[in-house]
Amino acid sequence: MKNDKAIKIIGSTLNKGRQTLSEYESKQVLAAYGIPVTKEILVKDKDHLEKGIQKIGFPLVMKGCSADIAHKTEKGLIHVDIRSAREAKKAYGEIMAGMKGFDGAVLIQEMIKGRRELVVGLTRDPQFGPCVMFGLGGIFTEILRDVSFRRAPLEIRDAQEMMRDIKGHKILDAVRGMEAADEKRLVDMLINVGRIGLDIPEVSEIDLNPVIISGSKPVVVDALMILKNQG
Amino acid sequence: MFNKTKQTKRIRKTDYPPTDYGRIFHPKAIAILGVSADENGVGFGTGMLRAIKMMGYEGKIYPVNPKGGMLSGLEIYRRVEDIPGPVDFAVIAVNARYVPESLEACLKIGVAGAEILSSGFSELGTEEGKELEQRIQHIAAQGIRVVGPNCFGIYCPASGLTLLPGPDLSRQTGPVAFVAQSGGMSIDFAHAGKWLGVRFSKMISFGNGADLREAELLRYLSDDPETRVISMYIEGIKDGERFFSELKAAASKKPLIVYKGGLSAAGARSVASHTASMGGSRVIWQSILRQAGAVQVNDTEEMAQANLAFAMLPPKAFRGISIVGGGGAIGVTACDTAETYGIEIPALPPDLQERIGSVLPKPGSSAINPIDVANPFVGPQALKEVLLGAAGDERIELQIIVSLLFHYKGLARAFGIPIAEVTPYKELTQCVRDVVDQTGKPVIAVLPNMTRGMESMDITELIALTRQEYLSHGIPVFDELHDAIRAIAHINNYYGGRKHEK
Repeated sequence: MKNDKAIKIIGSTLNKGRQTLSEYESKQVLAAYGIPVTKEILVKDKDHLEKGIQKIGFPLVMKGCSADIAHKTEKGLIHVDIRSAREAKKAYGEIMAGMKGFDGAVLIQEMIKGRRELVVGLTRDPQFGPCVMFGLGGIFTEILRDVSFRRAPLEIRDAQEMMRDIKGHKILDAVRGMEAADEKRLVDMLINVGRIGLDIPEVSEIDLNPVIISGSKPVVVDALMILKNQG
Repeated sequence: MFNKTKQTKRIRKTDYPPTDYGRIFHPKAIAILGVSADENGVGFGTGMLRAIKMMGYEGKIYPVNPKGGMLSGLEIYRRVEDIPGPVDFAVIAVNARYVPESLEACLKIGVAGAEILSSGFSELGTEEGKELEQRIQHIAAQGIRVVGPNCFGIYCPASGLTLLPGPDLSRQTGPVAFVAQSGGMSIDFAHAGKWLGVRFSKMISFGNGADLREAELLRYLSDDPETRVISMYIEGIKDGERFFSELKAAASKKPLIVYKGGLSAAGARSVASHTASMGGSRVIWQSILRQAGAVQVNDTEEMAQANLAFAMLPPKAFRGISIVGGGGAIGVTACDTAETYGIEIPALPPDLQERIGSVLPKPGSSAINPIDVANPFVGPQALKEVLLGAAGDERIELQIIVSLLFHYKGLARAFGIPIAEVTPYKELTQCVRDVVDQTGKPVIAVLPNMTRGMESMDITELIALTRQEYLSHGIPVFDELHDAIRAIAHINNYYGGRKHEK
């Protein structure tokens, strides 16, 4: 069954001639597939900032959101742990200044607390089609490359096995006072990322990084979706 | 609302008329097209005729060459149509240009299948080559199955069909089927299997794979009652989706061992995400094989060893093992290796240690497990007692006995008699067989040889004799302990014995 909402978001992105979904758009597609994402609001002018803050509540995260800008951290477009309206206004000004020349807005986002960061992704293999990736997230994704793949569609067993395949799989257990990660929710997340790949051939790559384990629940904190070159 | 990205499905040949694999692998009559008209020919056709005859193929052979005449005591027919009886299978070795018409002639007289040894098709990359191959596909679709072109053909020990240029492959049939594009890989494995003890049901080198290739052969072999273990060497595949589903289906029915070649050159695709940059062909293939439940091996030796283990050991996981051998270092190596592969070598209980210790030389021996017999000359009867004792521990599900037979060279020289006479290898293999029969627990023999120089050819021969003796008693043999343990690990993975540390 096709997911109309997700298809609509992707269709309108393509119509604008873009090949990348913004973080906000990516998360809307994910949410349409039942994948847990951060609670967030996109604010396009300063007058709506107050309302956004109220909706999300402190502490919060503010990010520059534009499909044209990658590597937000390096460009100083991410402000975390904002605890007052004053801090929020300052951050807003800095982010907008940093995005000068780009079509962007500010994403006000709940701050997810958790020390465990995972990555979930999708790539298209020329032979085997959409393949889902799971691994250690954040800065460790590139450093350790501790990841595993499964071809979509994933069965529950595939999702369970690919989580155990990574060397760092113990990070999912109850360790150092942290709860064990909710396996069922992670399994659903992996299966659903695979479904996006199967349902929407226009999606060529997905990076959900980090997916933070908050308490026991995984939440997608940052997301990137790349569409196929339609040329 | 989107551009149509879905391509029209490639038209797939259905099984029409149904493929008669029985006539292809066990033909009562073969035509060989493209033999030379004189005895001294060295072409593929003549080579195959000689090879099939030397293999002792019992059916009728009809050589074909437009010049006619006689070859190896057989009448050469000028045309396929002139062959007086029915033909089940054809070997086609004519020049590429004449292959389509030869195949068509075979189709017309009702041949079930043909192997095309000739090259000069799509592998050249030329328009002419591609077009010739398309014609082959077109003819095949009308009701004759094709292996090749550009292949070494089919090997079937039961019928005597053999790969090019193999006149001396084993006629002993067994449970292992092997499929590969590569003819060289096939003939190598056929030769290696002969002495390693891997016995084949059938082997198919399909070359360019114009018609029959990996996915369809997998389906056939997964239902083939003559095949208990499937093994393949893959370079490229044609249809990832179909291949994956056949792989998964086959692996759910019988052990499926896959050696994927050409993984080193990860295609440098231009990608934007971390996920895509990490999903190179190596890691994706590893994941796909795992997902399908196939056993992945990384070289030809590991492939042969895994096949041997699956073919000769009972279909179950072996979590705890005992290791019996000489020298403490063997024991340490064993423990290190076993731990790497998640296999346990449990310490035996005191009563069994006492029982085992009573037959071992002291001091120097250790009956804990790994069991160090301390001296390479401990006799077969004592070793039998050791193995029987260790089997008394219910945690032990399989035993490995490591025999350093090369040490007998010293005895042979001291006594002035040949090493094969001084070494009680026949008694040893019989004792090991008795242990298996009495305990119901399999034993693997390991025969390391540290002396492979010219001066030690008698040792090489002794080890070959011992291997043969073990194999004839149904005991698998490995050169190195590590190889044996790794093969057990493959079995454990396949039969779900894999333990995930928690």
